[in-house]
Amino acid sequence: MTYNSKKNIISMAAGVLTIAAYIITVRAGDVPAPEDIAAWAKLMLVFIGIGIGAQIVIQILFHVIYAVGIAVKENDKDGEKTKKIINASMKEDERDKLIQLKTLQIGYICAGFGLMAALFTLAGGAPVVIALHIVVGSSAVGSLAEGCAGVFFHERGVRNG
Amino acid sequence: MNGVFAMDNNAGSDPKFTITNNIRRLRFFADEMTQVELAEKSSVSRQTIIALEAGKYLPSLELAFRIAYAFGVPIGEVFECKIEGIMNK
Repeated sequence: MTYNSKKNIISMAAGVLTIAAYIITVRAGDVPAPEDIAAWAKLMLVFIGIGIGAQIVIQILFHVIYAVGIAVKENDKDGEKTKKIINASMKEDERDKLIQLKTLQIGYICAGFGLMAALFTLAGGAPVVIALHIVVGSSAVGSLAEGCAGVFFHERGVRNG
Repeated sequence: MNGVFAMDNNAGSDPKFTITNNIRRLRFFADEMTQVELAEKSSVSRQTIIALEAGKYLPSLELAFRIAYAFGVPIGEVFECKIEGIMNK
């Protein structure tokens, strides 16, 4: 498995952990009333912040473990070879940009469907909090779908056009 | 030039272009150049070199020239194209 695939999987894992933490918090019952949209929005913003923080921490840990793994595998004592391999792996090139474009498209489609679903829910007379959850949830699902597509394209290959 | 291949547009089907590369062989003859070294010389990531060698990615024209330049050979020595479904006019 390539460096990019591993990075995508780690990123998805951080996303799943954040979503799980949110669901556990909500299911625990210590949440605002359904009509208190401002409080819900604040709760979601807090969890978005937690998600970003988790991403940063998990990515740092991943890169440390990845570097140690390469150094051990290559039996590199002075770290020069490891540094070279990591630099060559982390470099972003035309293939990464092509994969990014394709995966972003999938993310936008998910978020777009979520927005439409939220509008239909509102039009059907459902509470705003449900629509809010559909919008945020579809963005999260879109982000996970992006990650899955990234792994797929990195492993299976990608064609121009 | 005689014997120029032309696409058979009347056949109703597009010709099939199969592009292959000799990067692995060229690396071997370049004093067993590593994928990391080739990646550095071509300004791409190691994963892209791995994908190219595995036939999982077709590079842009610029990258194809960069790789040929890294080996110091013409682009035709690095990449080859086999065209099927054409007729000799």
